Amino acid sequence: MELLQAPLWTDIENWPLSFEIAVSWLFPLLESLHVIAAAMVLGAIFMVDLRLLGLSATVYPLSQLSRELAPWSWWAFAITTLTGLGMFITRASNHVLNPAFQWKMVLLALAGINMACLHWIISRNRHQWDLDRSPPVAARLSGALSLVLWIGVMLAGRWIGHLS
Amino acid sequence: MDEINQWLIAAISDSTLQAACLYLLRTVPGFPPIIQTVHILGIAVIMGTVVMLNLRLLGLAAVGQSVAEMRCRLLPWFWWALLLNALSGAVLVLALPARYFNNPIFISKMALIVVAATLTLVVQRRARSRPVDDTTAASKLIAALSLLLWLLIPLAGRWIAYLEFLYPLYR
Repeated sequence: MELLQAPLWTDIENWPLSFEIAVSWLFPLLESLHVIAAAMVLGAIFMVDLRLLGLSATVYPLSQLSRELAPWSWWAFAITTLTGLGMFITRASNHVLNPAFQWKMVLLALAGINMACLHWIISRNRHQWDLDRSPPVAARLSGALSLVLWIGVMLAGRWIGHLS
Repeated sequence: MDEINQWLIAAISDSTLQAACLYLLRTVPGFPPIIQTVHILGIAVIMGTVVMLNLRLLGLAAVGQSVAEMRCRLLPWFWWALLLNALSGAVLVLALPARYFNNPIFISKMALIVVAATLTLVVQRRARSRPVDDTTAASKLIAALSLLLWLLIPLAGRWIAYLEFLYPLYR
C-alpha cells in the first residue's frame, strides 16, 4: 500500500511536538497512562461482555449494566486514543509499517463494528430480553466476539514494542 | 533490606526454576509479549473489579448496583486476577532476579501490593460485618486509599523499565 510509504508519516515525526514527546519524560508518562486507561477500557467492557454471555451480574438488566459502565470505558478509551496518538507521532513511519500495529488497528476496527452491531441490530428488541439471565444467541455471540477482539487488541498493542 | 534482596537473587540464580523461566522467554516464539499481555489482562480485571468497587463505595460509579452484591460478585474475580498476575509476573522475575530485586521501583511495587491487598481484605471483612450498604466516612477513606494504590501499582510496574532507561546502573 502506497499510503503506508507516504512522506506524510515522516513529516508527522518531524513535528516539533513529536520531538518534544520523544526526548522528554512525556513519552513514559503517556505510555503509563495508556496502559492504565487501556486496562480500564477492557475491565469495563469485559463486565458487559460477561453479562451478555450470562456469566456474571445476571441479577441486573443488561441495559443498566451497560449504562453504568459505558461512560468509564468511553472516557478511558478517549485517554488511550490521545495518549496513543501522542506516542504514535514520535515514530509514525515506523508504526504504520509495523505488523503488530497494523493488526491492532484492524482488531480495533472489528471491535468497533461488533459494538455497533450490538447496539443497532441486537439492541432493537432488547426490552424483550433485558432481564434474561442468558440473552439470545446473537447477543451472546457478540459478547464472546468482543472479549476475543479486545484481548487481541491488547496482545497486538503489547507486541508493537517487540517488533520496532 | 538489601541483604534480603541479595539473598533472593543468589537463591534464584542458577536454579532449575530460573532456567525454566529463561527457556520459556527465550525459546517459545512470542512468549514475552504473550506473558506481558496476560499480566495486563489481569490488571484489566483488577480495574473492572476492585477499582470499580472502590469507585462505587465513593459514589462515583455504578450507583444503581448494591455494594454488598458487588463485593460478593467482584472480589472472587479480583483474587483470581491477583493470583494470575503473581504467576505471570513471577515468570519474568524468576528469569532475571537481579534485574528486579536491585530495582527500587520493583521493591516499592511489591510493598504497595501487600498494602493494597490488605486494604481490599479489610473492605471485604467490613462487608461481612455490615450487610447493608455502608457509606460511612471510614469506608470511603479506605476505598479512596485502595483505589489510589491499585492505580499506582501498574504505574510502578511500567516504571521498573523506565528506571533502567534513566539510570543504566539498574540495568
